[in-house]
Amino acid sequence: MNDLMVMVEIGGRRCALNAHDVSSVIELGVVTPVPRTADFIAGITAMRSQSLTVIDCRRALGMDPKKFPTDHRGAVVSIANHSYALMVDRIDDINTATSEAENVSGGFGPEWSRITTGMVETPTGPALLIDLALLIAGPESLGAAA
Amino acid sequence: MDDLLADFVAETREMLEASEGEIIAWEADPTDRARLDTIFRFVHTVKGNCGFFDFPRLASLSHAAEDALSDCRAGRREADSALVSAVLAVIDRIVEMVDIIEAGDEIPEGSDEALIAALGENSDLAAGEIDGLSDLVGAVEEVAAAIENAEEGAADEGQGEQEAPRAPSQNAGVQRSIRLPVDLLDRVMSGVSDMVLARNDLAHRLRQAGNQPTIDGPFERLTTILSDVRDAITRMRMQRIETLYTALPRLVRDLSADLGKQVMIDLEGGDVELDREMIETVRDPLTHIIRNAIDHGIEEPSNRMSKGKREIGILSISARQSGNTISIVVSDDGDGLNEERIAAKAVSVGLITAAERAAMSREKILQLVFEPGFSTAETISNVSGRGVGLDVVRDNLERVGGSISVSSTPGVGSMFTLKVPLTLSIIAGLTVEIGDQRFAIPQSYIEEIIDSTSKSLDFTRVGETALITFRGNRIPCLSLAEVLGLPSTDIAEGEHTMVLLRLASGDLFALAIDRIHHHGDLVVKPLAPAVMNCGVYAGSTLLDDGQPILLLDVTNVAAEHGLVSDARTRVLQAANEQDQDAGEALSRAMLFTDYEGRKRAVRLELVQRIETAKAKEVDISPDGKRAVIDGVILPLVGLPGGQKPTGKIRLLRLSDDTCELLYAVREVDDAVELQNALKPVDDDPLVEALTLVDGQTIALIDGHEIFARYGEPPELTSKPTCHLPDSDWARTILGPLVSAAGYEVVSGTDEAGDIAIVLDDSEPDTHLAEGEFIRLRSHPDTSDNDGSIYRYDRDGLVDALRRARAGGK
Repeated sequence: MNDLMVMVEIGGRRCALNAHDVSSVIELGVVTPVPRTADFIAGITAMRSQSLTVIDCRRALGMDPKKFPTDHRGAVVSIANHSYALMVDRIDDINTATSEAENVSGGFGPEWSRITTGMVETPTGPALLIDLALLIAGPESLGAAA
Repeated sequence: MDDLLADFVAETREMLEASEGEIIAWEADPTDRARLDTIFRFVHTVKGNCGFFDFPRLASLSHAAEDALSDCRAGRREADSALVSAVLAVIDRIVEMVDIIEAGDEIPEGSDEALIAALGENSDLAAGEIDGLSDLVGAVEEVAAAIENAEEGAADEGQGEQEAPRAPSQNAGVQRSIRLPVDLLDRVMSGVSDMVLARNDLAHRLRQAGNQPTIDGPFERLTTILSDVRDAITRMRMQRIETLYTALPRLVRDLSADLGKQVMIDLEGGDVELDREMIETVRDPLTHIIRNAIDHGIEEPSNRMSKGKREIGILSISARQSGNTISIVVSDDGDGLNEERIAAKAVSVGLITAAERAAMSREKILQLVFEPGFSTAETISNVSGRGVGLDVVRDNLERVGGSISVSSTPGVGSMFTLKVPLTLSIIAGLTVEIGDQRFAIPQSYIEEIIDSTSKSLDFTRVGETALITFRGNRIPCLSLAEVLGLPSTDIAEGEHTMVLLRLASGDLFALAIDRIHHHGDLVVKPLAPAVMNCGVYAGSTLLDDGQPILLLDVTNVAAEHGLVSDARTRVLQAANEQDQDAGEALSRAMLFTDYEGRKRAVRLELVQRIETAKAKEVDISPDGKRAVIDGVILPLVGLPGGQKPTGKIRLLRLSDDTCELLYAVREVDDAVELQNALKPVDDDPLVEALTLVDGQTIALIDGHEIFARYGEPPELTSKPTCHLPDSDWARTILGPLVSAAGYEVVSGTDEAGDIAIVLDDSEPDTHLAEGEFIRLRSHPDTSDNDGSIYRYDRDGLVDALRRARAGGK
């Protein structure tokens, strides 16, 4: 399997996003906060005339983003006809996955296991392949909106 | 499905839409050659196209229809209603088959012999039987198709394999248009929006860099071009409402045939354009109302005759655009809504109590038909009363920001008015600020904005609930900051600017905000589900600088705070509000400064709206001034004589429920309570009384007098008719005078009027009028007193016409 992966760092861990899903990487300008929504929704921002929902991936995994650096860029992904910008620690490079996504015995910890399809090998080392649909569903997909 | 087949399906559909209206028109007038030709062309083209594909059933059907129609064309056969029904049935079958082809399924084996036989000259099948038969065959086919689907595996897909190269498009030159996927249009649209934003950004930078004549010129041009392109793209998404109309004649024909009624449909305003999606939203409600009108509204021909109406009922549908709204009016000249029955039903299902009913006006009672759980049809027919009530119609329209209302005159007819916004994606909105964050509110909800400095506002807290008192009503108040969980700002409680919001249910509440920011058109974009789920927002929109802001979902916010009443209380509330209006009739008035600089007031109940009109829309003629508002000509008062206003003028639109007039004012001040005694005055008949407001003397306009003097009664729905002799003089000179006297003019020998006018010595033909004859003479003086009137004796003639009208009715 030689899929291209966008390598990112979330909460200090190396993760991979399938490059097919990432339409672009943009500068995150002004992010308008959205009151009354789950905390992992950092707000909305505009990419040209489109509005994007900004997801803070650290919060989506139940971590405190203040403990990590934050990249001024965001990865734009489109899921179910809606566009999202992912806020991460750092956006690295594009790399080729050298293996299929596979599980390791013992799992990756409950939070990570929830949003990953498995581990992939890349030239820069192993990384977690993120399932975007699960990621944007947030920490508690039920009642998260309350 | 390959392209050729797709073309075939699309072309057939398109022609079908065009010919559907034609076929009904043809039935009405079988001698109409042009109509016949259109229909003939349709079946002929279908037949021709079938030859390229392997659709034997389709071919034989269209062939049979073509034969029958060509007999008519050659004059070998008369078109009668049986033939029209048979042709319609064939066309229906063709549609079914086209649907199957489009779905990529095999056309099931089956026989169309019954249908083809019905086309035959000596067919004794009645129209109804054919329809019934075709239903049956249709049902059998459905089952067959289902079985077919189940066995699909083995079936090969393309039944169009054998096609021969087809001549390039057969209907080339009919209409130059192309088909485009809506997706592509949307992409172009968003591209243009991007360009607008980029332009705005550039404009900003240019301003910062100062004046640069070499750049400013081309930039101006770019701006103009861009706004042109934007308009054009918006129009691409628009569709004429005609597309909705084409199916209606058929619907009306079928329904009226089923119900044994005669209905003529009259369509107007087909060129009004609407967003594609909105057309789809309107389709069902419109169909529903038409069904209702034919089923319940229009009476059987015999019944109509006995009431002195024409046998054929008229259902008229007209569409109009006013500003950002399209209103579609469906009116029929049937029996009208039965107030008593509606009220009785509402009482029996517990919507209102008998006591409440007694206090409600006819108008209010009629609107009850839109409440859930309501249906007056005593027996459920297969036409209306299929479990979908008018409440669903109303809900569907309200969901897209529209509304529906009904008015009706017993025995004369009823009129449903549907209002929908022009597009779903662009709405008028208000941008408000809380702290440094902005939110948008759809304009349609906003009833009034009350400035924080206004003294008419009284803010109190009752328990945890905040209430404001405005014009004597206590209105619940929400703080937007609290609703959104934002930190409260340094503005003291009660000092906020209030936005009064009226929900579709009629409930009113106030939203406290920090500041009003902006007011304009918003392009609404959908939000991600995770954001929508919180139920506070309806979408997002971009400000001119490209910053996204959130659009509040007013209905949901209100519901969350328990501010939406259920149907029952809603009805009561409406009734109560009316009671209150009656009780406080003395107390409120709109204060204004008139064109002579005097402070005056008019009772608030009379004021419908404050309009702004351009001076050129005002017409001054010797018999009074008029202005055009929303496409209606209304009498205008308040402008001093001889003075032609310039620029824009403010108008108070006054209404006494039946007629309306406009009052020109220099300035609208405020609504005030009339607390002090009213002192009647005699010198000016237009002034009811003088009173004191804040220490100033104010003259209160006399509503009765002003309407008595200037009000124009609305056109009567059914006018008496007057038969005129067949001459140029009668048509061009006498006709207008007679119409002005309130008659509908008829002429010719086959139409009779309620009264008739005859000239000089011509013998009154008793077939031409049921009532009186008025004789006109050409010479001013005549010795014999035969009761005739000199043809230019205007007063005498008008008087005679009035007497005839009073006597005839």
